[in-house]
Amino acid sequence: MGYRTSRSSSQVTSSTPKTDSDSHAGDHRSLSPLQLRAKRFRRLKRGYYSFVLLAGFYGLSFFLPLLMNHRAILVQYDGELYFPALASCLHDTFGLGQERVYLANTFDQISRSGQPVFGEANYRELQRTFAEEGSGNFVIMPLIPYGPNESFLDLPGAPPHPPSHLHWMGTDDRARDVMVRLTYGFRISITFALLVTVVAYTIGIVVGAVLGYFGRWVDIVGQRFVEIWGNIPFLYTVIILASILGPSFGLLTAILAAFSWVSITYYLRGEFYREKSKDYVAAAVATGEGHLTIILRHILPNALTPIITFAPFAIVSLIISLVSLDFLGYGLPAPTPSWGELLKQAKVNLRVWHLVVFPLGAMFITLQLIVFIGEAVREAFDPKVQSRLR
Amino acid sequence: MASIHNSADSGFNAPSRPLLQVRDLEVTFRVEDGLARAVDGVSFDLEAGEVLGIVGESGSGKSVTALSILRLIPDPPGRISQGRILLDGVDLLSLTYREMRQIRGNEIAMIFQEPMTALNPVFNIGMQVREAVLTHAKVSKAEATDRAVQMLEKVGIPSARRRLHDYPHQFSGGMRQRVMIAMALVCHPRILVADEPTTALDVTTQSQILDLMLELKQRESNASIILITHDLGVVAETCNRAVVMYGGKIQEVGTVQQIFNNAKHPYTEGLLTSLPAVAGPRDERLYTIPGNVPSIMDMPSGCRFCTRCEHVTDRCRHEEPALHEIGDGQFVRCHLLEPESKPDSG
Repeated sequence: MGYRTSRSSSQVTSSTPKTDSDSHAGDHRSLSPLQLRAKRFRRLKRGYYSFVLLAGFYGLSFFLPLLMNHRAILVQYDGELYFPALASCLHDTFGLGQERVYLANTFDQISRSGQPVFGEANYRELQRTFAEEGSGNFVIMPLIPYGPNESFLDLPGAPPHPPSHLHWMGTDDRARDVMVRLTYGFRISITFALLVTVVAYTIGIVVGAVLGYFGRWVDIVGQRFVEIWGNIPFLYTVIILASILGPSFGLLTAILAAFSWVSITYYLRGEFYREKSKDYVAAAVATGEGHLTIILRHILPNALTPIITFAPFAIVSLIISLVSLDFLGYGLPAPTPSWGELLKQAKVNLRVWHLVVFPLGAMFITLQLIVFIGEAVREAFDPKVQSRLR
Repeated sequence: MASIHNSADSGFNAPSRPLLQVRDLEVTFRVEDGLARAVDGVSFDLEAGEVLGIVGESGSGKSVTALSILRLIPDPPGRISQGRILLDGVDLLSLTYREMRQIRGNEIAMIFQEPMTALNPVFNIGMQVREAVLTHAKVSKAEATDRAVQMLEKVGIPSARRRLHDYPHQFSGGMRQRVMIAMALVCHPRILVADEPTTALDVTTQSQILDLMLELKQRESNASIILITHDLGVVAETCNRAVVMYGGKIQEVGTVQQIFNNAKHPYTEGLLTSLPAVAGPRDERLYTIPGNVPSIMDMPSGCRFCTRCEHVTDRCRHEEPALHEIGDGQFVRCHLLEPESKPDSG
């Protein structure tokens, strides 16, 4: 309800400059239908703010290793500066530079019992040691100094540990910080859904456009192949392929994309059938333009509305797919922070409230925000509103 | 089938070969009950520089004839099943898709009936006219834009350069039709096929658009125009010659003078009588041709017009009349006017 009211009231206030944009003399640059819709989307406050919020968090999540990490942002040791978190951020997130792990002996780290520490440096310990020594060396840790795959077994009691001032959302059954894992899981979920959407839409658009534009036997034969492909049981394929090739992010993306383009073709095919019979297409043909130009430049922009409107909801369902695959154990390989895996733990430990509430809450909020975006996109692309403005 | 050649005294310096020759054109549409013959054995010539009107009621096959010339019949369900369309003696129906693209827009251009839908709603008009240029001319984008602006100015779009960035929905119907004309003429085609270009416009805009087309033709390109219309008034104003179609067949061909002053075919006469006369008595009911156009699926076996003709005879119902010349390049398809049997002058 609030949605409607906010839209209509904002339209009343700002409709005047739009309707007479035709007669505007000064900086004359008319808005394309897409720009008009973007403008209308921006006016739908709830969806627009959801979009800003989500896009902001997602953008920020690419710098997660600098915000939530067991590696230090900056270490000064013996007059030299080290940036362990930055190195891992660049390598893990953006694929730049080399994998660079600073071993404990780089900083001559010695544990409390006086033994040299082996393996990767423990920066939280190092920070404490340097502070005690007061020798001018120092360590700057990220805001939340825990890594996503780190187990905090030295906490009092048995995991899962309840929320405390150190771990605000508690730890999971392997004593890993729930908040850190949820946040890393957010990035993986959204990245996954976006990637699958892009790949699936590309395939679906190409196939649907070809079927709808050329029609005839191309359509009849192509449709049958699409139908056969669409009837391959998805879950079995995932299970079989995952057990043969071993589950990985790339494999899951490929499989889900391979199965979710089918529905896009139906939309596009129908739209192409409808649009190609319109006069502007005949006019383009009569101008002597070729198939490719007509498909890409003339029909496609007019045929995209339904699938653009559909995209946010597709993303929602893809996130849910990934969560359910992880929940069933056919999803991302073990140490990857994932929402489905946390939910699985919640199912096993139903009485541990923080394992139930926080993952479900995170999922609920994220999906709700995307649905808000979807609603606003649908509203912005609603032709009825546009016809009223004409 | 009689082929119609333009006679020498129809007002043109007719070259030895007409620019466009349509011969025995037959277009069929696959419909639920079988095959509908929308255009049945249509033949006519178009001379260079001529304005030819094709007149007829809805369903007479005039639009299908026009679309066939550019091979724009939607296939399926339609198909050009027979005939030849010769441009400079080259049969357009035998060209490949790629060769046909060179013809479309470049040699033969088309204006559509609905200016509301014939422009792509998502592109501004500058892009659309420019694209028409770029499809056929190897010029830079800036040059194409310049040509687009010039053309838009010629068709009377005020402050054309500024309006390049406007979208079709920001133009009125008449302005959109002007943009369509600009798109069609920007490559200087030799033939312009105008499929009811003024039907969707109001009357004042209609005459403006027609005047514009003729003016551009005279001043710029001297392109031949095929004007499809159901409005005899439009024909009288703009055309040199007219083809009257009914039931997918040509019923009468002649110069505009012949058609208007000396119409022979009962159908043409009926059409003319149904025109309101400016000087005529005001309280008289307007004449209408009785009955309706029969469905294309059950056309009468004899003369197509026999179900509605006032002079119908038994022969008309069973035997199809042939198109024959009655003098001076005027052709008629009617038994009553055949030279050997002339029982009624009609």
